[in-house]
Amino acid sequence: MIRMLGRAARSLAVLVVVVALTYVIFYLGPADPALSLCGRPCAPEDLEAARAFMGFDSPWWSQLGAFIAAIFAGRSYGAGDVAFDCAAPCLGYSFQLHQPVSTLIGERLPVSFAIAVGAIVLQTLIGVAAGAWSARRPRSLGDRAVTGASVVAASAPPFVVGLLAIVLFAFTIELLPTGGYVPLTENFGEWLRHLILPWLVLAFLNGAVYARLVRSSMIEQLGLDYIRTARAAGLSERRIGHYALRNLALPVTALVALDTGALLGGTVITERVFGLPGMGALLLDATATTDLPVIVGTTLVGAVLIVAANLAADLLAPLLDRRLASRRRFSPTSSVAAAASASPASIAPGVASASPTTPVPPPARHQEDPS
Amino acid sequence: MNRPIRRSRTLLGAGALAITAALALAGCSAGGNGADGSDGSGGTGGTLTIYTTAQDVEFDPATSQNLAVTTLGLTARRLTAWRTSPDAPTEVVPDLATDTGTPSEDGKVWTFTLKEGLKLADGTPITSETVKYGLERSFAPELSGGLTYHKVLLEGGDDYAGPFSGEHLDSIETPDDQTIVFHLNRPYGDFPWVASTPAFAPVPEDAGDPKTYATEAISSGPYSIEKYSAGNEVVLERNDEWDPDSDDVRVGGPDEIVFKLAQDSSVVAQSLIADRTDAQDAFLATFVPPAQLVQAQHDPKVGDRLVTSGPGALEYLAMNTQSPALSDVRVRQAIEYAVDKSAYRTAKGGEISGDYATTLITPGIAGRQEYSLYGDDPAGDVDRAQALLDEAGATDLTLRLVVTDDRVTAAEAIQEGLKRAGISVEIQSLDQAAWAAEVTAGDGSAYDLTLSSWQPDIPSANANIQPLFESSQIGNGNYNLARYDEPEVDAAILDASSTVDAEEAGAKWAAVDRRILEDAPVVPLIYSRNSFLHGSGVADFTIGEFPAYPNYLTVTLAR
Repeated sequence: MIRMLGRAARSLAVLVVVVALTYVIFYLGPADPALSLCGRPCAPEDLEAARAFMGFDSPWWSQLGAFIAAIFAGRSYGAGDVAFDCAAPCLGYSFQLHQPVSTLIGERLPVSFAIAVGAIVLQTLIGVAAGAWSARRPRSLGDRAVTGASVVAASAPPFVVGLLAIVLFAFTIELLPTGGYVPLTENFGEWLRHLILPWLVLAFLNGAVYARLVRSSMIEQLGLDYIRTARAAGLSERRIGHYALRNLALPVTALVALDTGALLGGTVITERVFGLPGMGALLLDATATTDLPVIVGTTLVGAVLIVAANLAADLLAPLLDRRLASRRRFSPTSSVAAAASASPASIAPGVASASPTTPVPPPARHQEDPS
Repeated sequence: MNRPIRRSRTLLGAGALAITAALALAGCSAGGNGADGSDGSGGTGGTLTIYTTAQDVEFDPATSQNLAVTTLGLTARRLTAWRTSPDAPTEVVPDLATDTGTPSEDGKVWTFTLKEGLKLADGTPITSETVKYGLERSFAPELSGGLTYHKVLLEGGDDYAGPFSGEHLDSIETPDDQTIVFHLNRPYGDFPWVASTPAFAPVPEDAGDPKTYATEAISSGPYSIEKYSAGNEVVLERNDEWDPDSDDVRVGGPDEIVFKLAQDSSVVAQSLIADRTDAQDAFLATFVPPAQLVQAQHDPKVGDRLVTSGPGALEYLAMNTQSPALSDVRVRQAIEYAVDKSAYRTAKGGEISGDYATTLITPGIAGRQEYSLYGDDPAGDVDRAQALLDEAGATDLTLRLVVTDDRVTAAEAIQEGLKRAGISVEIQSLDQAAWAAEVTAGDGSAYDLTLSSWQPDIPSANANIQPLFESSQIGNGNYNLARYDEPEVDAAILDASSTVDAEEAGAKWAAVDRRILEDAPVVPLIYSRNSFLHGSGVADFTIGEFPAYPNYLTVTLAR
């Protein structure tokens, strides 16, 4: 319990730092957001009025304080009939888009959610299957093909892959639309048609990392004593593969969690190339137009999503790896004892001595531009 | 097209300056070059799709900077409108009013009479009161961001803060439902043009929440907003209250117009080049990106679906006259000779990107006189430049050229040109917002030279010159980027803009043009041409002599 509270507190601290840093970076930058609200031609008094109205006329710490306070208490800009109200949780108001940032994010999040869920499912399935398959016969032609494709995918710039996919599927064989988004509630078929290409592109780009991770870990697992023992005991290769794969659940989950958080926060380039109105496109446009409230708001929400996804992965870990659950129950025990009591034994009965299946930490990775 | 920063407002069709290509996206387009991109007479009906890189469209007349012939013109009529033609100067014509306004003897009082029987989309009659209320709204600080030309002209406008506090602006009189009278603080010859800017659209007093009016504005034009989804799409459908017989400038061709927002211009341009089934009844409101422009020029499938405007916005090199290095007029004149305009145009994409410029007033604007103060060779005259530098005693000159990051290649062409005369140039590139803050705002100490372009909000010499050279337009986000402050020129601008007789005013503006260039605050580089693509189902896609954007109001679909 205390551990959980500690974690939550650390997560909160991360979020506060993210907000403060984003605010300060853009505040210290040379841009003046009020210029966009002054008419043309812009009279000096109009510019002053615009700054005051937007709340950009006070020092950064005071603006930051007002921003954080508004998350809990809401705020309003201007006065009288035309005051712009922003109810709690207020993440600021976009004067360029005429909407509270929370409303904008509320509109964009379902799009990013749709992109993320499809991409995650596809990339995990494709990546794990390809990695496991190629690990079965290292250095075979199939293995080389998978490894080669994953190198290409991991190093290709997302916009190139996206544009190539459009050229191939949309222009060459007019099969799919070139871009745009149709809400699920309007037309399921069109929703699917508009999302297939982005899903495939993201799955290709991000799936490469899964394939490489699974392949190398599987090869390592398959060389371990418990596998040899299992083979000697006459288990089928198929079952052995399953045992080895189960030991990869933890690192793959960690990766999925990271990707989920990042994809929910928006995929800047994929969304732009495919004309999808998600969080990434919102952030990109806000950056181009110095829409400071939107920049800070989307960054904060993106950070919350990543922190939450990691937290979820941590909570899931004991379910996926019994050793962690038992370590928690009996802790602090030595890791050797924990390992001894843990999984390989449960997988391959009778080989209790086996197994340092240390979960492989996720490698540093190429992620398609999480915002 | 216009300015960078406000992407949205500006973009979709807005007005003035063309600073970044990126921004430009949004909106405006143009065709020209004699350009009639249409392949025949269009009929009515169908759904026209307009692709844009902008993520929103501004439909509140108070906050819009749209040109009279682009997006806002589809939903908002004003007192006057523009009639554009590829081979004749753009004219100001009556729209809601029966004529283009009657000035008093001294040019300070302008009277308009509204046509009878016009209605807004909700059935409210369009009266002088609704036009007055629309204008009053534009004074509210909460609804700032639009074109403000009227705000500095109307008497008492300085102290007026909009109608929401119950105050009204007395300098707009509405003696009866059809008559509206404007009292200006000085004579102003271009007032008929000013009356075509967005704020002169009618807004009923019970129009609803001013905060959300931008997405649910009550239409007076052929289309009403049916759906508004920022960052995704806007759907316009027919406004049945619009009377085509009362409107000489809008065709109201398609039954429905859909704006696809936040698009990638390269992807859309590819779709249009390929003439995909879903892109045939569509055009791209953003300029065609350079790579696709080259492709489209050489693809026989494209043909006249690529429409290029005539010479439009002035692209120029501004010399900061307040920078110590450039305070001597001879140094600035030397730069006029040293710049290589042909290298600049090559960097911008060659001949299709524009014609060489030598004047401040752009082609297609009444009163323009062609002249060239600094030689006729676009490659420049290095010897003259060196002689002037020697005379000024300027040696080892090093200048900072601050540009937006989409203009770096063009900046390098300037750098190479000046190097020939021994002037070294350091290029600093900034993103649009930072550039605006350092160059259009700021104290001017951050740059010696900068590149910019200017497309006037209305087709008049005044709108060409005043925003770039009057001393009141220095800093605060305005566009006197040379920080040129010459009382004699300020007085001449005031005098010319106060002249009501068009011919007399034209002669005065031509004189001001030449007078300013004698002081060499800017080097005119090219009058840029904008290129646009449309699908095979789009007809009547034309770009007038002004502005260098297509006229959305007359586009139809070939059926």
